[in-house]
Amino acid sequence: MNVNTETSGNSLVVALDGRVDSSNAAEFNAALETATADSDLGVVLDCENLQYISSAGLRVILTTAKSLQSSQRKFVICTLSNPIQDIFVISGFDQIINIQGSRAEALATMEA
Amino acid sequence: MEEEQRPRKILVVDDEPDLQPLVLQRMRRGIRRGQYQFLFAGNGVEALELLRAVGDIDMVVSDINMPQMDGLTLLEQIPSVDPNIRAIIVSAYGDMANIRTAMNRGAFDFITKPIDFTDLQVTIDRTLEHLAEWRSVLKARDQLVSVQNELSIATQIQQSVLPTQLPQGAGFHLHASMEAARSVGGDFYDTIPLEGGRVGLAIADVSDKGVPAALFMMASYTLLRAAAGTPDAGRTMQEVNNVLTETNVAGMFVTMFYAVFDPVSGSLTYANGGHNPPVLLHEDGTTEQLPLTGGVALGVMSDLDYNVKSIDLAPGDTVFLYTDGIPEAINGDEEEFGMERLCTTLTAAKDRNAHDVTDCVLTDLQAFVGDTPQFDDITCLTLRFTGAVP
Repeated sequence: MNVNTETSGNSLVVALDGRVDSSNAAEFNAALETATADSDLGVVLDCENLQYISSAGLRVILTTAKSLQSSQRKFVICTLSNPIQDIFVISGFDQIINIQGSRAEALATMEA
Repeated sequence: MEEEQRPRKILVVDDEPDLQPLVLQRMRRGIRRGQYQFLFAGNGVEALELLRAVGDIDMVVSDINMPQMDGLTLLEQIPSVDPNIRAIIVSAYGDMANIRTAMNRGAFDFITKPIDFTDLQVTIDRTLEHLAEWRSVLKARDQLVSVQNELSIATQIQQSVLPTQLPQGAGFHLHASMEAARSVGGDFYDTIPLEGGRVGLAIADVSDKGVPAALFMMASYTLLRAAAGTPDAGRTMQEVNNVLTETNVAGMFVTMFYAVFDPVSGSLTYANGGHNPPVLLHEDGTTEQLPLTGGVALGVMSDLDYNVKSIDLAPGDTVFLYTDGIPEAINGDEEEFGMERLCTTLTAAKDRNAHDVTDCVLTDLQAFVGDTPQFDDITCLTLRFTGAVP
């Protein structure tokens, strides 16, 4: 699991690589917290290279979404592979988290 | 702290009576500072008696040649009193045969005669230092064992609340199984007898593992039982979700499928809160996954609606509820068992009763994963509808 952060326009783009499961969910949480702290920009979580995410990882995304929401920051996830898109649809989280097909679309919603 | 501060008890075993005042005199500083406390025995037999009587002697400094019981025999006997006592042997200079025997019998170190008291003190300190490290390792191990015991008790409690006697009746057959992973997980199933002969069927999976997941599982399980009074599966889920969300500080969630089954009509009305869609196996062996109902996993957000869908089971239909521990079980090549294999297995078991269907799935799953350890609970609940009795 790897997390890379860059600033693009008025957003923080966090690219997530590899696998997130209960063995490294705490690490993922810490990486997201570090990446999004000291900023008031909205956050795009790009999952293009995310291979697997377990429920422990979903919990981290959910907690992040909630904490950003509570400080009026936007949060968008993008570029989900089909199996990972399925996980979001089955869990119903696609209804409470903004999911976009590509990074460009995600950034466009941040401008709005 | 007390343990750290008490003087270390050192038993000196020698048949030479002059040694006692000499030791007390030469080591007096350490004794005065509360570092050491010396005890004395004249031979091996006396030494063993003292070791047993005092109970907390840390180390032994023993001569070899003594009447009644010599030092080498004493070395063999010490572990029967306490295997953690360390011993230093005092031998004649150059007596390699006895020194070797002593070391082979577990002596920690040796010094030679005539005793050089500076060397004795260095050797004693080194031995005590080693002993302190050894004890902290033992303590850490004991703590680990006790944590593991608590986790395994948590798993037992989880397992023990799940129903083992499932409702049975004319026209249907139920079977459930849960194999807990090594770490405490948060799967559960439930079968709840409802009025009018209906049965509430639930399967659920708490996000993450460990003690927080186990606690959240117990809360979800209890809330579901309490809310299941209503025959409306959607309202039951809504109530459970609202209470879970209100009290959820850890950001956990539980995916839950809950259905109300009517054995008279064969209708199954269900709400799916973010859970893997159960498989419907028809009598002809075809399979389909029960369409989602748009529900979100429970514990995330309050005041959500849980829509229901309803299907009419035909006699011979089987509904297989499961948690992701089944499709996501991996083999040695890190391949997942997957839905395709699961459905193939179910198709092959189309003529079996609920118990056998469960067995077929678990057997195929076991053959697939082999010795690869699984990190998720493996839970399933099978409903076989044989048809309303005329």
